[in-house]
Amino acid sequence: MKLILVPVGLAALVVAPWVVTDPFYVHLMIMVLMWTVLGASWNVLGGFAGQVSFGHSAFLGAGAYTTMILYLNLGISPWFGIVLGGVAAAVIALPIGLICFRLRGPYFALSTMAVAEIIRLVALNWESLTNGPVGLLITTLPPVTIAGSPLDWESKVPFYYIVAALAVGSLAAVAVLARSRLGAYLLAVRDDIDTAEAIGINTVQVRVSALALSAFLAGVGGGFYAMYLRYVDPDAVFSIALSVEMVFIAVVGGLTTVMGPLIGAVFLVSLGETFRTHFLTGHLIFYGLFMMVAIRYMPEGIWGWLRLLVANRLGVRNA
Amino acid sequence: MPEAILELKGLSKSFGGLLAVTDLSFTAEKGAIIGLIGPNGAGKTTVFNVVAGFLPPSAGEVLLEGKNLVGLKPHAITRKGVARTFQIVKPFRNLSVLENVTLAAFLRFPLRRQAEAEASRILEKVGLKEKIRMSANDLTLVDQKRLEIARALATGPKLLLLDEPMGGLNATEVDLATRLITDICADGVTIVWVEHVLRAIMNTSHRVIVINYGAKIADGTPQEVVENADVIAAYLGKRAKPDAAD
Amino acid sequence: METLIQSIVSGVLTGSLYAMIGVGLTIVFGVMRIINMAHGDMVMLGMYGAFWAHVAWKIDPFLSIVLCVPAGFVGGVLLYRFLLRKIVPGGELNTLLYTAGLSLFVANLALLIWTGDYRTIKLPYAIMPLRPMGISVPIPLAIAFVMAILLTAALYWFLVHTDTGRAIRATSQEPEAASLMGISVGRISMITFGLGTALACGAGVLLAPSLYLYPTVGEILVAKCFVIVVLGGLGSVPGAIAGGLLLGLAESLGAVYVSVPYKDAIGFVLFLLVLLFKPAGLFGEGKS
Repeated sequence: MKLILVPVGLAALVVAPWVVTDPFYVHLMIMVLMWTVLGASWNVLGGFAGQVSFGHSAFLGAGAYTTMILYLNLGISPWFGIVLGGVAAAVIALPIGLICFRLRGPYFALSTMAVAEIIRLVALNWESLTNGPVGLLITTLPPVTIAGSPLDWESKVPFYYIVAALAVGSLAAVAVLARSRLGAYLLAVRDDIDTAEAIGINTVQVRVSALALSAFLAGVGGGFYAMYLRYVDPDAVFSIALSVEMVFIAVVGGLTTVMGPLIGAVFLVSLGETFRTHFLTGHLIFYGLFMMVAIRYMPEGIWGWLRLLVANRLGVRNA
Repeated sequence: MPEAILELKGLSKSFGGLLAVTDLSFTAEKGAIIGLIGPNGAGKTTVFNVVAGFLPPSAGEVLLEGKNLVGLKPHAITRKGVARTFQIVKPFRNLSVLENVTLAAFLRFPLRRQAEAEASRILEKVGLKEKIRMSANDLTLVDQKRLEIARALATGPKLLLLDEPMGGLNATEVDLATRLITDICADGVTIVWVEHVLRAIMNTSHRVIVINYGAKIADGTPQEVVENADVIAAYLGKRAKPDAAD
Repeated sequence: METLIQSIVSGVLTGSLYAMIGVGLTIVFGVMRIINMAHGDMVMLGMYGAFWAHVAWKIDPFLSIVLCVPAGFVGGVLLYRFLLRKIVPGGELNTLLYTAGLSLFVANLALLIWTGDYRTIKLPYAIMPLRPMGISVPIPLAIAFVMAILLTAALYWFLVHTDTGRAIRATSQEPEAASLMGISVGRISMITFGLGTALACGAGVLLAPSLYLYPTVGEILVAKCFVIVVLGGLGSVPGAIAGGLLLGLAESLGAVYVSVPYKDAIGFVLFLLVLLFKPAGLFGEGKS
């Protein structure tokens, strides 16, 4: 089943901007794919490893600012900048993990929120680095030619392909992780840290690894965010709202699944963005509503629920 | 006389003012089954928690093949070859039986395919072959105990600490479990076994150590221990004396 | 010297309202171990309740509180009974996520219905502040302070001197033992949640004349609340009162004496330090 869906899905992804040309819908697809990357990043730590973080915007923001600053000040192309943004996010994740992993469960969640807020305040005030509340702006993106013709950055299509590649890469990375030993260890840590220790799992190392990978992906997503919107400021990029959106997309989509974040993004981002064009505000109402529904009725998320439905229909009893 | 694989030297553990374990010393020879018995609250599980690294001792040493384990984290101790089961079973409830044991097998087999194969092998040995795809949460208590042992075995231990594996089992189940334990020992694993079901432990142990109020009161063959006056007094109680604590 | 006294007075005044909000949050955590991310939005609802009562029926907020607090209580009871009760058995994290969802839902619903425009309540008697001994004390804040103290004292009296109050404290300390003693934990939970919401709504009403109202004000408030409640010790009512006053003072003094930029970070840094090193709160009264 999967063997058919994956190539079909990839083909659809490649062909989409040729079929759907309305700029609003291209923008929507870009948003869905960007949030897939961000949701997948959160899912590594919050889903697989079970460490619920409410401060992931710290990594998004780190990636965004790194990419921006490297481009604006050093002329480093965003191609590398986005990756370096991911690396920067992973680097700041280490001291954050050192502090926050001493706590468990909801206290860990609250501490990540506090850390993200502190980082936001630092970014607001460290004007020599970040330009403070004014933020950073890109006026011209680097010229890139592919097959002889220059990319038109005014059209959204090049951004679409970049983010599509990032999304596919992120989901692929998570798929590999899920099958690997580290992925299995994450699930053990999620279930019970002490029991995991008892069977030889170095739970500190495992959690830090999950955090680093999660931060890297969030940083990459942040780097793209910066390039696409061409503007960052501390309140936009280090906000609790962004952290919360990442959580919701991953949870509603389906924790500990590979495709969950994609499904969550498709649902929430589509609904939200469409709503926003008509009502201009309050679009997060769906996020809240779906979260409540998911926790109450679909703890496996929409994707998990769908999979169970299909498995039951096919008569497969699976753990 | 085979050499000692585990040696406790002067182990003490206190919680605030409460002395849970007092100056405990004993050895376990390689390949033996050592029983650890004593009345409720005698400190047996505390000993296990200290040996396995979940609690730091207040004093004393825990030597595994001559090397001190004190201060190491639980996962490091498991890597050195000490595995344990828990008195109240702790399976990974959201995962399948196979996944539970595969997790432990990953310690020695980094690739999933190999780890799963090893896990299957061990699950067959403990009698859970038919249930490997079931969720751990759906198992009966007996099977959960088997899973607990299988998971401990999958880490490839030299020393296995069993914490009251017979709790809650009926007579037939006790016999089956006893047979499993002797099989494990026959494979070369040294076993230290805390138990309340005396019949099982007395029939299979090479040596028995009796603890009361955190201190060792007897150390010998099952026969010797059963006839020891202090042991009898500990289990049956002395006649009430003015200064006797109760 | 005068500046110092002025800051202290302002700090205590706002602190009393923080304390009231914090107490609501902490009793809910103490009894049910619920971390209610929507608590700030209940304050917001109280604020808007006062606003609309004032705009539509010309009722002074300090009078409409008489309606709003019971309404908050009933709302809280219903919320617990019909929504939260089924979620709580799923664990603290699930509940946290659920209340986070509720918070987003309520705040965004408010945004849709009432728009994001900043609102204010203008009271005719509130234009000039009082000036006892040269210290400026805004009238609405002074009245709010007095009422907050009264309400919090009333709650305290209730917890100590009534059977239900004692049952709440017992359940907070040892739910299992409490239920063995014949206390209906379900009923106590409902009442406690109602009380917590009532306090939040009440604080919202009291704050309304002194702040700008906007639907997402809950977001910032709830973050501050957590700082208060953790500092004071989760589950401890005296701790939340002390924590609230402390935060009010810290913000007020910080604004004057500490460099303005990083002053907001102080609260969060303290919060982290307490969580890490003194999880039972600064006074050691809470549960970790």
